[in-house]
Amino acid sequence: MEESEEENGGRKMKSMERRKARLIIRLGEFLISHSVLASVISCAAGIVVLFLLPVLAKKTYISENALMPGSANPMFSQKHVMEADKLVKAITDQIYSTGKELETPRLIAQYMSHLGAEVYYHKFKEETKQFHPFHFFSSIHTSGSVHGNGSTTALGINTVGIIRAPRGDGKESIVMVSPYNSQKLVLDDAVSLGLAYSVFSLLSQATWLAKDIVWVASDSRYGEYVSVDAWLREYHNPSFLSEAVKVDSDTYKMCIDKNMAHNCKNGGDRGSDDFRRAGTMAAGLVLKVTDQKQTNERDSLKIYSEASNGQMPNLDLVNIVYYLAVQRQSFHVKVGIIRSLLSSVFLKTIGKTLEILSEMVGYLNPKWKFGISSADYVEGSATLASSMYTQALGVPTGSHGAFRDYQVDAITLEFSPSFPFQKDLSHSLTIINSGRLIEGVIRSVNNLLEKFHQSFFLYFFTSPDKFISVGVYMIGFALLAAPLPIVASALFSGKFTSEDHGESTVTEKTSNSPASWQWIGAAKVVFTVHIWAIIVLLMPHFISQLPNLTSTMSMLIWISNSTITALFFYMVLGSPYQHSNPQHKWLLLKAVMISATSIGLSLMSIINFATVQIGSLFLVPMCLIAQPLRCSKPVLLTCCNLLFMIIGFPLFAMLIFESLSTEFEGICIGNFWEWTQSLWEWNSATYLYLLVVHLPCWVLFMHILFHP
Amino acid sequence: MKAEGGSYWVWIGIALLFRVILICFPTNLNLGSRPEVATPVTSLRRLAEGYWLKQASMSPYAGSMYHGSPLLIYILGPLTVKRIEGKPSHILCSLLFVIADFLTALLIRATGYKLKFTKSQFLKRGNLSKLLESSRKFSAEDIASLVYLWNPFTIATCVGSSTSPLENMMIVLSLYGACSRLAPLAAFGWVIATHLSLYPVILIIPVILILGHGPDSPPVRLLGSSFSTSGYKDDKSSTLPIRGFQTFSWRFVFHFLLWALIWSVYVLVLSAIYLKEFGGLNEMFRKTYGFIISVEDLSPNIGILWYFFAEVFVIFREFFLIVFNMNILFMILPLAIRLSHRPCFLAFVYVVISSMLKSYPSIGDSALYLGLLALFIDEVRDIRFSFFLFCGYIGVSLLSPVMHNLWIWRGTGNANFYFATGIAYACLQTVLVTESVSAMLNHDRTIRKELTASK
Repeated sequence: MEESEEENGGRKMKSMERRKARLIIRLGEFLISHSVLASVISCAAGIVVLFLLPVLAKKTYISENALMPGSANPMFSQKHVMEADKLVKAITDQIYSTGKELETPRLIAQYMSHLGAEVYYHKFKEETKQFHPFHFFSSIHTSGSVHGNGSTTALGINTVGIIRAPRGDGKESIVMVSPYNSQKLVLDDAVSLGLAYSVFSLLSQATWLAKDIVWVASDSRYGEYVSVDAWLREYHNPSFLSEAVKVDSDTYKMCIDKNMAHNCKNGGDRGSDDFRRAGTMAAGLVLKVTDQKQTNERDSLKIYSEASNGQMPNLDLVNIVYYLAVQRQSFHVKVGIIRSLLSSVFLKTIGKTLEILSEMVGYLNPKWKFGISSADYVEGSATLASSMYTQALGVPTGSHGAFRDYQVDAITLEFSPSFPFQKDLSHSLTIINSGRLIEGVIRSVNNLLEKFHQSFFLYFFTSPDKFISVGVYMIGFALLAAPLPIVASALFSGKFTSEDHGESTVTEKTSNSPASWQWIGAAKVVFTVHIWAIIVLLMPHFISQLPNLTSTMSMLIWISNSTITALFFYMVLGSPYQHSNPQHKWLLLKAVMISATSIGLSLMSIINFATVQIGSLFLVPMCLIAQPLRCSKPVLLTCCNLLFMIIGFPLFAMLIFESLSTEFEGICIGNFWEWTQSLWEWNSATYLYLLVVHLPCWVLFMHILFHP
Repeated sequence: MKAEGGSYWVWIGIALLFRVILICFPTNLNLGSRPEVATPVTSLRRLAEGYWLKQASMSPYAGSMYHGSPLLIYILGPLTVKRIEGKPSHILCSLLFVIADFLTALLIRATGYKLKFTKSQFLKRGNLSKLLESSRKFSAEDIASLVYLWNPFTIATCVGSSTSPLENMMIVLSLYGACSRLAPLAAFGWVIATHLSLYPVILIIPVILILGHGPDSPPVRLLGSSFSTSGYKDDKSSTLPIRGFQTFSWRFVFHFLLWALIWSVYVLVLSAIYLKEFGGLNEMFRKTYGFIISVEDLSPNIGILWYFFAEVFVIFREFFLIVFNMNILFMILPLAIRLSHRPCFLAFVYVVISSMLKSYPSIGDSALYLGLLALFIDEVRDIRFSFFLFCGYIGVSLLSPVMHNLWIWRGTGNANFYFATGIAYACLQTVLVTESVSAMLNHDRTIRKELTASK
């Protein structure tokens, strides 16, 4: 862009001093003069690099030396499995005998305090999700549990136990979370509680602990995320009792008193209501057990790590889990994968081609071989697609996402046994293996001297042990987006060359709007479109407050209101076509549109890279080929324009997104509303991207398309 | 870009109303805590703290919280504690800032009228009807005041509780006073602006030049004797503006210096009385000017000095402090010589340079110089890179909060990320100032060419 400006303004001076022009300026001029070729090459290269990413992935390695995973023999033994068995039995018995799940927190608390842990209950209530479009700019959300009329809703109760480390100073801690649904307890939840309890019981006797251990048995009756989020918020931002909370705590007392009175009678130890803390968190582990049917002979472990807006925990945390799980406990480790892509013919073809290519190169020089088999490539691509998709969505994949808002690295470990659990857990090999794994991870994290900082924060997975770091995946996007500034500057300079031939004297220059300021008219149009987009962005907030609306109705209201607003803008501000000199008008408009889009894309690439990587596949070609239908000569170009007119539409983009995640099964217009709603409820930056970058770009594209 | 008569005042009204609306929802915006908006010197929250300390009969400068003028505490302090039920806390101060912005806009407009008047006088004299016509198409003063009021930077500064609107008002007041040859007013503005933030002290040169030569006289030196003699002989009736082009009237300058002395003594005495029990003026100089010059606070801002002084070894600190502070002073003299015929524009250049190199810059400074630049919209219309600058300013102002978020809240970035936007911002300002100066000089060349052609 800079080069173009330099060129357009100082063209006359430049022509005198062309000889003297610096190399960088000459290079810039060269690029601009061949902008079409440069942009086609660059775009194509960007897409090629994107498809090469699975080949470029590197093996993971543990880069923090202090972690020393697996350096000590595990102490987790049959004895601890018996402990787990005891708790699971107690819980299931209690449910079958009394039919009351409400007792579970008390039971857990009792077991915790038997181990000598400090125990307390943390109460929270369900929160109606609120719309904070710029939430990700500030981490502390002050609004929250303090307001709202929670008198009618029941409170969730997290039971929290803390083991003070014998060798620590109480300033650091490691958190284990085991979610369970207190309203409808299933065996899996009970087993995950038992697993956490068994590790907890081991750690209560460990002499090597240097960080306190916090075990949160989180009540997931309102969702796993909500409970952990509420606990973390209270942990980091204590809410001082205001009026509203006092009222709430009164109602709470009424509902909980019965429970507590019962507890006292039983004479068991019980947790207090005081919120206790254990210093900064070094890491968080969310433990889950699912009893899925599976074909694999080994126990499997699935790792979830995506937090909100494409944030990831430090790669080292995933690495130690992977290392211990595979090397020591022989788990089958999995990360998210899009299954439907595994059978994709397209990917298979690319994989085959690459394989052949690799072999051919191998003949020339064996060192050049990038050895990746076709099957590996397909699997890597499917994993990469899933990794990108979950990051791009900006919605956390589990309750570990809540930790990331407080800069704590956390992952969810989902264990699934090779054989279904029996009534008697005491001989379960799965529990032993899982317990040893968790013990090993905690022992490693315990060794940490600082918070995780050595390894990567920004990466994609192509398999559990392969990743693509930010330095590599940025290349693809950079190549894809590079044509935007080049073409924008080419448009500018092209425009001014044609005009400069005509007017060279001062008299011409003193016309109403001088050449270097003509972009203001186009900028006004672009600005108006963005204002409109922001209005459209805010609309769902108000629509969702209307009572008794189905999702289809809401969506229709949204669309119709947006259209009406757009028409209103037309009527008030006038059509952008009515200005004089339409020939250059659309070129200018295109240049400004491309600049605006490139600013938007580069901004968004910092907030959530994956969104932009996917979005730019639509936006960049759309920006580059935009041309009025009337004056586009090649039929191919017209077809491309029409094609992008359809697939560039944000709704269609959503449809593609959705079809990736779920198969096409009865997608109706209401689904879009639900989809959008989930995006803005999770404060996903993708929602912002779709409506502030993508939608205006598409609207401007349409403007150019139908330019007279 | 066009503003005629009634619609001008409508736009002004909407701008003010917009501010008042934004002021009523500050909790969502929380602009006062953004490093781009409020610096340690201008933050209203720090001022409230200083006032609280004073009320507790401690020195307002205790604990390195407050670093502004004691007079500001005296005026704004009581407003910070006054609460209106159901309204955000600093609403009275914010309303004061809205008024300050409004006055600044009016003063810019008035200054613009003065500039326009002298310019059209000159152009008539030189028979440059074409240039005259083109200059009449724009009403630069209206555009400038609207640019100032509608600039998002100004709005953010006004809503984000920082005291920069008052500083900006004082600077513009000083320029206006000089343009209308009101020496006491110019001196007052200059003294208070210097008292508030030190850097406007360099504006004494343009102010003296304006008072001496009259506002932005076109290039006398370039035109040489031809114009002044011919124009002078032809028309003796209106000699006043012409005389301004030639002679340097020392009378106004002496008036100005005298008044500046009186006002500074006055301000210092008032401050001394206010700080009588807390170390007096000595303490004030140490905690305000000393704080500004020695870059004590290294918390991030959009400038570049914080990063540099966080990195530099302690033993070199003094040396680099001298280097960086001299940097501004080095540029004063060459620019003053080159642009002496356009003192108002010189003032603009000085403001840009000081906002680029000052220790705690904020977007309030950019708000001021962008407003001033719009006064010369006719002269610098052929500025190169205008679109690049426009995109750059938008990009940097969006990128800066994102990078800050990435560093402070998410922890995935580091200080370099935020500093990168600081560098980009500094580069933009450099490009802006060099391009506008060269555009202005080109414009002067054009005038000379026209003059010689018309002879």
